[in-house]
Amino acid sequence: MKKIKCACVIDDDPICTYWTKKMMDELMFSEDILIFENGQDAIEGLKNIIARGEQLPEVILLDLNMPIMDGWDFLEDFVKLPNHNKGNVYVYIVSSSVAQQDLERAKKFDVVNNYILKPLTHKELTQILKAVA
Amino acid sequence: MKISPSLKRKELLIEKAFNMAKIGFWEVDLVKNTVFWSEITKKIHEVPEDYVPNLEEGINFYKEGKDRELISQAVSNGIATGEPWDVELIIVTAKGRELWVRAQGEAELANGKAVRLFGIFQDIDDKKRKDLAYSQAMERLALATNAAKIGVWDYDVVQNNLVWDDNMFELYGLNRSNFSGEVEAWESSVHPEDKKRGQEELALALAGEKEFNTEFRIIQPTGEIRRIKAMATVKRDQNGHPIQMIGTNWDITELKETQLQLQRTIESFNGAFENSSIGMALVGLNGKWITVNNSLCKSIGYTSKELMGLTFQDLTHPDDLKKDLGFLKQLVDGEIETYQIEKRYFHKKGHIVYVLLTVTAVHDIDGNLSHFISQIVDITSRVEAQRKQQELNKIALEQNKNLMNFAHIVSHNLRSHATNMTMLLGFLSKEKDGEEFQKILSMLQSASLGLNETVDHLNEVVQIKTTALDNLKSVNLGEAIAHTKNNIRAQIDELDTTIKVNVPNDLFIKAVPAYLDSILLNLFTNALKYCSTERAPIIEIDTKIQNGKVELRFSDNGLGIDLDRHGKKIFGMFKTFHRHKDAKGIGLFITKNQVEAMGGKITVESEPNLGTSFILTFDLAKKMNDS
Repeated sequence: MKKIKCACVIDDDPICTYWTKKMMDELMFSEDILIFENGQDAIEGLKNIIARGEQLPEVILLDLNMPIMDGWDFLEDFVKLPNHNKGNVYVYIVSSSVAQQDLERAKKFDVVNNYILKPLTHKELTQILKAVA
Repeated sequence: MKISPSLKRKELLIEKAFNMAKIGFWEVDLVKNTVFWSEITKKIHEVPEDYVPNLEEGINFYKEGKDRELISQAVSNGIATGEPWDVELIIVTAKGRELWVRAQGEAELANGKAVRLFGIFQDIDDKKRKDLAYSQAMERLALATNAAKIGVWDYDVVQNNLVWDDNMFELYGLNRSNFSGEVEAWESSVHPEDKKRGQEELALALAGEKEFNTEFRIIQPTGEIRRIKAMATVKRDQNGHPIQMIGTNWDITELKETQLQLQRTIESFNGAFENSSIGMALVGLNGKWITVNNSLCKSIGYTSKELMGLTFQDLTHPDDLKKDLGFLKQLVDGEIETYQIEKRYFHKKGHIVYVLLTVTAVHDIDGNLSHFISQIVDITSRVEAQRKQQELNKIALEQNKNLMNFAHIVSHNLRSHATNMTMLLGFLSKEKDGEEFQKILSMLQSASLGLNETVDHLNEVVQIKTTALDNLKSVNLGEAIAHTKNNIRAQIDELDTTIKVNVPNDLFIKAVPAYLDSILLNLFTNALKYCSTERAPIIEIDTKIQNGKVELRFSDNGLGIDLDRHGKKIFGMFKTFHRHKDAKGIGLFITKNQVEAMGGKITVESEPNLGTSFILTFDLAKKMNDS
């Protein structure tokens, strides 16, 4: 199994990010984990990576409801990034929203691989790992 | 042949008599082949007295053609059979004049052979021409009466004899041969109810008391009843006694029926016009009302007398006038025959009356536009009901949206706390380490607090939505602002905030006092919370009164909001746009709900890093405690 170099978690809920990071560490999910509190921070962070000429994270776990810039706005800006090495970036929405409209909306983004309902579990992280690596 | 003197004298006497009657005499001796013309005969032919005629020349005086052929035949026939002739023919005199003459003659036979022809010759030109003119005039008259189906009758008063022409029989639908006389024919045809009157009128006319000019009904043999118009003149002798009565009859059934129909049409139109529940008017080309009905008067509040002094333009809402006049022009230009529009009139009392107007052009007999017929259906109640319906729809739509929002919030916000708890409990069961255990416990506590807070917020929102909206009171806006300002005095002073309030002292709005306090508090704390770090906060509050509404403008010079990005979500629940530790995304959502619950509106204008203005509208309250 190939190890993932970099994974990115975008979520405003500190409880959530704490435990996601903990689970990822336990699974040795990736070498690096980037954490952003909202879409705005995440987009800026990714832009910086591109500016430095580095590779974007292979996996992005994206929450939907966030302040300042929510998950949807992030997705809209993300697909417009000059080079986000498409195909190599796997975006997973990780949200507590069970609203059908959110699921439908997520399907409209080609870049979104799957919609995962919180709470995120070991099992799901393992599956992501299998799919990406 | 010798002629005895007595005979000769007799002939002379006859000739004299003939001369006096201007009758010429002629004689042809077929044995000696001599011709004698008397002096009158010569004069008629306009030949000199010494003229010596012969038989052939005499015939040749007759006009070539039909006249000459007829006389030749008559004479030949007379010679052959001894049959006398008496013809009226045209001769051409020696001077070339055409003249009507009467030629009579016969042959004297001896042993079956004609030996002598003789006869008389008479100038009948005057009489003949008069007769011809008369018969032409008669012919014309007959033609006219025939064409006009006018029957002519002639009553000989002395002989008590009535004569009908053919038209009379045709009018009455009778056959001439079926009646012994016209009196019988008339009496059998006239309607029994009109007979006595007809006879009386005839008697009055004969007595000279009244002109004969009447109408009566007849029943034709088919049973059909026709109306007859009859006129007559009476001729009298020197003593004034009636001797003759000549009259005419003509059928006026169709005319009469058309008249009756017209009258009925007019009556029914007037009836419909006056009693219609639809407003109706005849409008002149200049826009002036010619006739209006009660219904229209009722709709727009004017009496018909008042309306007469006005034009439709005077009463039409200015915004609808152009549309109306545009169609009217098309109507005048003949491009359309009628049009229908929805428009507004002003009621006498000033309020607006919505109508459905149908205008039809009316042309005179020459095809020129004469006036318009307007039908005006008052649809004010319909339009108002429609508007109310639309408002209700809007509210329903808005509430539906809120409900969706609410469902979304429940599905997301409540769930996020719940899922956190589930997750934490999962970790808790595995944790042995005391430090990690304590950390999870404190996280659980914070998740449960968050859940509580969300439930509180949701409850607050539900409260607004379920509170009765007719609890509005008259509130002094300036006092309410001052009160809120005092409550957060510490914060205001801490940030060195400038507050400019331009609100009249006597401005009252309709509001739920608790809501108004909450709204103002939210606006103030938002302005302070999202103030710029680069400059001291300035808050400006202005009001504007328009159409019974108070517009409140609440402006700050703070961070501002990127409306292109967040405009649609700014009043949504749990939406935050700033990195602020206290940002919960609930304040503006509640503010909007409270403003709308009081029948108002809230909008936002903002430029990032320049500031934000919230514009709120309230209903103006006239005086205190006016609910």
